[in-house]
Order: sequence, then structure tokens, then C-alpha cells
Amino acid sequence: MGIQEQYRSEAAALLSSGEVKLVIGFGEGSTADRRRPLFARTPEEAQKFVLDAACIANLSTYLVTEGLLSDGKKVAVFLKPDGIRSVNILISEAQLKPDQVVILGYAIDKAEITALEGRNISDFSLGEEIRSHTPPPHILQEAERIEEMNPAERFEFWKAHFSKCIKCYACRQVCPMCYCRRCIVDVNQPQWVSTSSHTLGNFEWNIVRAFHLAGRCAACGACDRACPVNIPLRLVNYRMGKEVIDAFDYCAGENSSQKPVLASFKQDDPETFIL
Amino acid sequence: MAKIGVFVCHCGENIASMVDTGTLVKAMSDHPGVAICNEYKYFCSDPGQETVKRAIREHNLTGVVVAACSPRMHETTFRKACAEAGLNPYMLELANIREQCSWVHSEKNQATSKAIEITRSLVEKVKRNNELKPISVPVTRRALVIGGGIAGIQAALDIAGAGREVVLVEREPSIGGHMSQLSETFPTLDCSQCILTPRMVEAIQHPKITVMTYSEVEEVEGYIGNFTAKIRKKARYVDMSKCTGCGDCIQKCPVKKIPSEFECGLGKRTAIYTPFAQAVPNVPVIDKSRCTYFKNGKCKICEKSCQIDAIDFEQQESVETFEFGAIVVATGFQIQDTSVYGEYGYGKYKDVITGLHFERLASASGPTAGKIQRPSDGKEPETVVFIQCAGSRDPSKGVKYCSKICCMYTAKHAMLYTHKHHGSNSKIFYMDIRAAGKGYDEFTRRAIEEDGADYLRGRVSKVFEENGKLIVRGVDTLLGKPVEVAADMVVLATAMTPQPDAKQFAKRIGIGYDEYGFYNEAHLKLRPVETAKAGIYLCGACQSPKDIPDSVAQASAAAAKVLGLFSREQLEREPVVAAVGETTCAGCWGCVYACPYNAIEKKDITDRNGNLIKQVASVNPGLCQGCGTCVTFCRSNSIDLAGFTEKQIFAEVMAL
Amino acid sequence: MSEPFEPKIVAFVCTYCTYAGADLAGTSRLKYAPNVRIVRLPCTGRISPMFILKALQKGADTVLVSGCHPGDCHFTAGNYHARRRWTVFRALLAFTGIPEERIRFSWVSAAEGAKFAEMINEITEQTRKLGPFTQYQELQKVIETQSTY
Repeated sequence: MGIQEQYRSEAAALLSSGEVKLVIGFGEGSTADRRRPLFARTPEEAQKFVLDAACIANLSTYLVTEGLLSDGKKVAVFLKPDGIRSVNILISEAQLKPDQVVILGYAIDKAEITALEGRNISDFSLGEEIRSHTPPPHILQEAERIEEMNPAERFEFWKAHFSKCIKCYACRQVCPMCYCRRCIVDVNQPQWVSTSSHTLGNFEWNIVRAFHLAGRCAACGACDRACPVNIPLRLVNYRMGKEVIDAFDYCAGENSSQKPVLASFKQDDPETFIL
Repeated sequence: MAKIGVFVCHCGENIASMVDTGTLVKAMSDHPGVAICNEYKYFCSDPGQETVKRAIREHNLTGVVVAACSPRMHETTFRKACAEAGLNPYMLELANIREQCSWVHSEKNQATSKAIEITRSLVEKVKRNNELKPISVPVTRRALVIGGGIAGIQAALDIAGAGREVVLVEREPSIGGHMSQLSETFPTLDCSQCILTPRMVEAIQHPKITVMTYSEVEEVEGYIGNFTAKIRKKARYVDMSKCTGCGDCIQKCPVKKIPSEFECGLGKRTAIYTPFAQAVPNVPVIDKSRCTYFKNGKCKICEKSCQIDAIDFEQQESVETFEFGAIVVATGFQIQDTSVYGEYGYGKYKDVITGLHFERLASASGPTAGKIQRPSDGKEPETVVFIQCAGSRDPSKGVKYCSKICCMYTAKHAMLYTHKHHGSNSKIFYMDIRAAGKGYDEFTRRAIEEDGADYLRGRVSKVFEENGKLIVRGVDTLLGKPVEVAADMVVLATAMTPQPDAKQFAKRIGIGYDEYGFYNEAHLKLRPVETAKAGIYLCGACQSPKDIPDSVAQASAAAAKVLGLFSREQLEREPVVAAVGETTCAGCWGCVYACPYNAIEKKDITDRNGNLIKQVASVNPGLCQGCGTCVTFCRSNSIDLAGFTEKQIFAEVMAL
Repeated sequence: MSEPFEPKIVAFVCTYCTYAGADLAGTSRLKYAPNVRIVRLPCTGRISPMFILKALQKGADTVLVSGCHPGDCHFTAGNYHARRRWTVFRALLAFTGIPEERIRFSWVSAAEGAKFAEMINEITEQTRKLGPFTQYQELQKVIETQSTY
């Protein structure tokens, strides 16, 4: 039995036993190489789940849908390691209760899908793996290329990208970490972020979002994929993740009991840049 | 519609000579929302304040900006003026065009345009100020004094003498501190015990003072007027309510050869012991680590010897919680570990001792009953070398600071030695004689002129043994010659250092400390007994090296501060506190972790039937000190800080 | 371009240390460049990255953030939190092309009036060399041109 069939029947069993009220997974997409989320509430619906190398979305983002878990019932969700990492961060930020999430874990290696052991978040120890995890080579190369530019060139690079931003907020919508009930960009008293679609406001928005994700990003790349104008958002988030590891030895989502990196400190944190 | 009054102060010539106030007034008069703009020579004067008040009434002002000196100077003055004119005192901002403009610039045009920008940005800020009310908090009128040395005793007696309750906590079995170890005290040569013991007794008998010895402050929470402290009472294994202090148990205890801490190891004590004869309370403790019963399960001789069954091997340590309004920290000092000076032979030669050892040798109640005898063979030394600054003022090996008391006590030691042993010979190596204080210089002169103390200005490089003598090799810099003295005993004037756990303790109670671990005062000159944490005060050597007169003076000063605080039932606090917008709070608890005061709690939001809808952060305004760290953390912008709101600062920055 | 370039420096400072230090520079009559505008906050912990962005928008050529030395924070830990925040924010700005020299950080105590004065002079000089931060300010000009069609 392939992993797809195994997880279909497992999802069906979870639903029919009443252990979970919902299973979030993947269904057929509009084209052969695309998958869309499928929300199964009955064992029958669970038979429509698809699990293959095209299932790359981070479904943990649906777990923080307002009200979904407020009845105390459980939800099962198909997650890759980056999704599990997101769940760790969400638990540490009190957005999820560990007992309410049943994880149907899988990993994709090229076209190969393997099932991950464990169902509860506590079954997964990601520490080693995500610390050694490096982003795809093209991201790494691009990040290095940007680091090598002079500031003016970097500024122009990002200005060119950010000027395309149409503030559709797809990046925010798809990100599991963007669970705020009100985003700072929607605050208008005062209007910290200019909302009209000009480059200054775009700059501010993208900088603020990157800052808000510093030390919280699971590096799933969902924002990057969601961006309709192809802003390489992963690059900034990757750079922020690198900074918190280098400066504070903090790797977001290593476990579910971390304190937020920007709400904690060490007395001997580095401060080479301070006069 | 905002009606802002702008008042430009000349401060005599201080501002007007560098800022063209006419131009500033003109610019502000034209600024939107400014109803009136005046200039005057001194707005802080009575007529100046009257002008402000009149303008508030006549123009129905909604906000006031006084362009003058630093808010740290006159914010209170003008807040009061606003309140007297019926305007909420928090509808005021001071534009600092003196300290941060006219005084620091030398080109009038530039200073004027800077003054305009500063004032304009604060006009924009004040338009968005909110009316605030000071927060009033009740004051628990009981003080905690931590440390039962002379400083702590003095502070406790002064506070209790004014009728307020005090809990005096001491971690050793007896109060008294280092002063109880001293023989005579400079510059009067009073016997230390004779002047201290009555104070100790007064403290323990005082109806308003609860003395808790063998106890430690474990945790302090809360804020000025409202602290909660957990105090751990270590197990004494002796029932304090029964013990009469007869001392039979001590006599009978078979473990007799424990080096006494009080005697600096020069004397011995038993496993059940009081640190010294005059101990207060005069109730022994059992040293669990040395007691035969605790080690082997057999003995209990003390229990058998006690006629009133005061020994209780089953006693457990306990933690008691008290409420306090103020805390006086008087945790004292230790002397520096002299082992860093290997060349002086401390630890290697028995007759190289510290000043504190010498105090015990000279003390009538000490191990030698006041005779100066060498620890090695009990002989009376003929020649004693005193080495000053053996640690102090030595950045390479010791500490950078001057320990302040050593010049005086070394002179005293030389004197006592001569008094006790006529014809003796004391040589003192020194860097400088620092004898500033009432009667101090006279005292050191007396040591030199009347008691023949031989002062050699210079450092000692080495102490070594040769033919039963300690050869002290040094230099006399006044003669420019190396010197060697064959001594029978060497006394090191070691540095006074903070308690080894001073830093951890400071963190536990939330006060600051310097690079050494001495506690930081709020202002070295103007607020020397307060800490930066309101309601916590300092006295004695925990703040810096001090002698007895200074410690006592500071203790009384701290007590006066405490009593000033206790003169009120309610405290008014600046209403600069944070508040959470509950509708948008996502409950991520970042602010809860970030708050340095644990002032943010989790709050349940429930529906009408009591079902939990969500949890949000909630700021306790009594605990919040108004730093705003939470505001900056909050990603959804759901927290704001009164007095420095997002709107206010946005407007201020956008007007720059 | 008739007028010579005068740098605009906006400083966000805490009231207990750096603001008091700046006051001390004043009472000591130390002279320094008139290019700095000080915004007073209770603590460095209150200084939000948004303040910096807004200052840059309003034409600041360099932004300074300054507070109490580690261990000296009036609020015990506000500056430690701020330090972490600035480490991250500074890296972010650098990565997006805002030169590190444009955003400066310092610890200035209430006793360091001289340090404050010297620092402002140094930053002003450095900014003079860097020139105006037109790159950022021009982001707004784009608005004006866009709004014409």
C-alpha cells in the first residue's frame, strides 16, 4: 500500500472514530501538477486525498483560522517538516494547543514520498534537522549575490522588486505566522505603513513583514510562491533566520517551548555595532 | 479642534542670546492649531506661570507647549501651573530649546531653525496627548531591612523608632555583622562590641522590629509601596521560643575543633554554636554538615544536655511571605581573597594575616583574649609589617577602587599593637595615607608621632621566610631605595569587596550593580541612598566601601527616605503605563515574556455564559513602570503606552 | 542645488540616560553640530523600527538610536530587548540596501555629555560625507509622479 492510500485510510479512521473533526490535506488541483487543500469532514471525503510530490504547500496555515480550534476538538493535518516546524512555532506562541493537532507527516525527496513517524507534535524532534537545513541552492546563491552587492545596488535590487508589489497581501494570507487579528498594515491611527501602492509604502510593508517574521519563519517558502509579482520574499526571510541563528543561536521552531527570540535576551548578546 | 498655547522662554539670556525668539514665536503663531504664542523672560517665575495660566483660561487651551529648558528641569512646575488653570497636567510638553539647543550651538540661524523644529514637533505631539490621571496605589507601611550589620541595625532602629514595623533579616545566626568582629574602632578607639551590643539588643527587643536571623530573602516581587518578599528561615535545630541561651549544649558538644568563621579561623567552635559570646539572639544553631548526629545518626548529646528540650533535630526550614512597602538593602561586604597575592605568602606562611585576623587578635573577646600573638607559635611579635592596598587600587591584580577604610584601620592596628606591646616595632608600607574624615588625619598623625608607627612609602614586592623571620622586601620610594624588613608578622590590608553573591541577589530583587558588584544608587551625588528601583534603598558597604560612621549616616538617610514614603497612605504614580487593545490582541504572549516587571497577565475573555472565547494580554497598571518594551514587541500594534502613544510619536516624528 | 548639504539627523533616545546625557552636554556648554533632532522616549525598549522608517521618510539622512548602557537600564531590561531588536532590524535594513552607516546605535549614560556631543559631531561629519539619503527619499517622489496620471 502506498503512502497516499495509507494516509487516506488513516484519515478516514480518524474521522470515523470521531477522534478528529476535520482532516486538512491535499486534493486534485486545476492542473496535473497542482494541488489544492482539501478539507475532509467525513471518511468518504478522506478518500479524495492526494499525496504526491506536488503537495508542497504548508497546510499549517489553516490551523490558525479563527475559531477553528476553539471548540477544543482535534484536527488532523498533512504536514512536511517545514509545516511541523510552523506548528512548533505556533504552539510556542500559544496559537495552537499541542493536543489538538494530529500530524500526518510526510517528506518529499525528489519524487519520492515517505511517511514520517509520529502523530503528536511531541513525537517529532526537529532540532538537528532544521539547523542543518539549508535553503535550495538557487536561494542561497541569490542571497550570496545580494550580500556581495554594494548597498546602493542592493537598494536598487529591492526597489525594483518592491515597486512591483501590489499589496495584495497574498504573502500574509498564506503565511501560518500571520495570524494577527489585525495586521499593522491595517492600522490607520497612526498610519505607520502607507497603504497606497507606491514604492515607499511597499518598502515599508515588506520590511515590516520581514521584521515581524524574524525568528519566526519556518522557511516553507509559501510567501514566495504566493506572490503574484514574483518578489523573492524567501531571500529576506532566509537572511533574518540566519541572523537570529548567528547572533542569538536561536532556530525558530526547533521545539514547541521556545520563548520568542525578540521577547527574550541574554546579557551578553552581541553588540558590536553599538557605540 | 486643538487650541494650543506655545510659550517661548528667554531664560534670561540663556535661550534668547542664541535663539531668535521673535522668529520662533512668529513661526509657531502661524502653525495650525496654535491659538496663542507668547515670549517672556522667565516663564518659570511667578508672573511667567501666571501668564501661562491666564492664557489657558482666556483661550480655553487644549494643550500647552513651553519652549524652554529640559523637561527634567521644569516639567513638574508647568504641569502644576496647567492643573491650577484647570487644564489636565498631562496636556503639556516641554520643548527643550535650552540644554539641547541654545547652550550647545554657536550659530544663531541654525539654532533658531532647530528650535522651531523642536517646538513644532512637540506642538504636533501635544495635540494628541490624552488627559491622564495619576495612578494612586496604597502603601504597606512595613519595611524590610536586608542585612543585620551596623547599617541594617541602624536603619531598622530609626524606622521602628518612628513607629513603623520592620523585619530585619540576617543570614548568619546572629546580627552584628563585621562590626562585631572588630576590636577597637577608629578614630576614638571605642571598643566595637561595647558600642554595638547595646544596639543589637535594642533591635531584638524593639516591639516594632522582627529580627529574623539565619534567614535569607529568597524572592522579592512587586513595586514601591507594595512589595511581597519570601524569606527562607533555615533550620536552626534549636527552638528559639524555648532556648534560654545557657550554653550547656555548646559545652557538651563533642565536635570541638571546627575553625570558627567569626574568628577567621583563629579560634575553634563546636558543631552546635553561637558565633560569638554576645550573639543576638543568644540562641545556638546546629551546623548540620559538622554535627555527629546528622552525619552518623548517633550522638544527640546536646539534646540530652538541654534541660528545657529546646533541641529539635526534626526542625525544617520554612518560607514565610510578608508584604512590605519599602526595602532597605544593607547586605554589607566581604574582604578580598588574598590568595591572588602569592608573593605575599598569604596561605603559605601562617604569620601572614589579614586586617580582619588582626582585629580578632586584638579583640579582648578574641581567641587570644586581646594579646597580639603569632598564629604560628603564639609568640608576641617584635616587628610587624603592615602592607596597605594589598588588593585595593591595584587594577592588575586586585580591584581598581580605594577600599577607604584600610588607611585608618592600619594606623589603628599599629597603635593598638604599640599600646599592647611596648617597645614594639610597626612598619607600614603605603601608597598614600588617605585620612579624610572627622578626627581621621589627627588619628594617623598620632599613630606616627605618638605611637611610633614607621610609615614607608612604597610597595612590597615579596615576602619570604628566612631563619624564622618573614623577610619583607619592598621599596621606599621617598628614599628611592629598596628595603628589607625582617618581620615576625605581616598584616595585609585587603580590599573590601561586595558579597560573593551580590550580583545574583541584585538580580533577584531587581536593582542595579556596578562592575564589581557594589549596588548602584539612583544618582551618585543627589540620590545616594535610593536605587533606580523605586522603594528600594541602600546603606552601608553594599553600595561602596564605607567605614562605620558613613554606614550609620547612610542607614539613617535610608530610614528617612523610608519614613518619608510611609508618611502617606497612598502613593501617586505617573500614569505612564501600557494598556492592551483586547479586540486585536492575538494572545501570543510575547509582551508577557518581554515585560521586565511581570506586569502583563493573561486574561480570559468569556461570553455571557462564562464560556472562554479567547485569552488576551492585560497590563496591571500597578506593576507597569512604563518602559514600553511591550508596545514595540506587539506585532499587531495592540498595546499602547500612555504619554508616549503611537499616535503622539508618529505626529512628533512626522513634524520633524 | 544652491544651498550646501546640511545633514538631518533624527535621534531616538531614552529619557533616563541619553536624553539626560544630552542635557548634560548642554549644562556643560559643550558645542556640537545643530543637525540633530531628539525624540524623547521613556526607554529604548519603546523605540519601534517604524519610528526609524518614518524618520527616513521625513528626510533623515542618518538615524541614531541611543539609550542606557547594558545593566544600567532604568527599567532593568528595556535596553537588552532593544539590543536584540536592533541586531535583527539592522541586518534587515542592510540586506535591503539601507547602508549601516545610516542607522547608528549607541549607549550614552546620563553622565556622558561629552560622549554625546562628540558622537553627534562625528555622525554629522560622517553623514556629510555620505551625502543626502536621496535614494530613500526618492521613493516618495515616485508617489508624486504616479499621482499625476
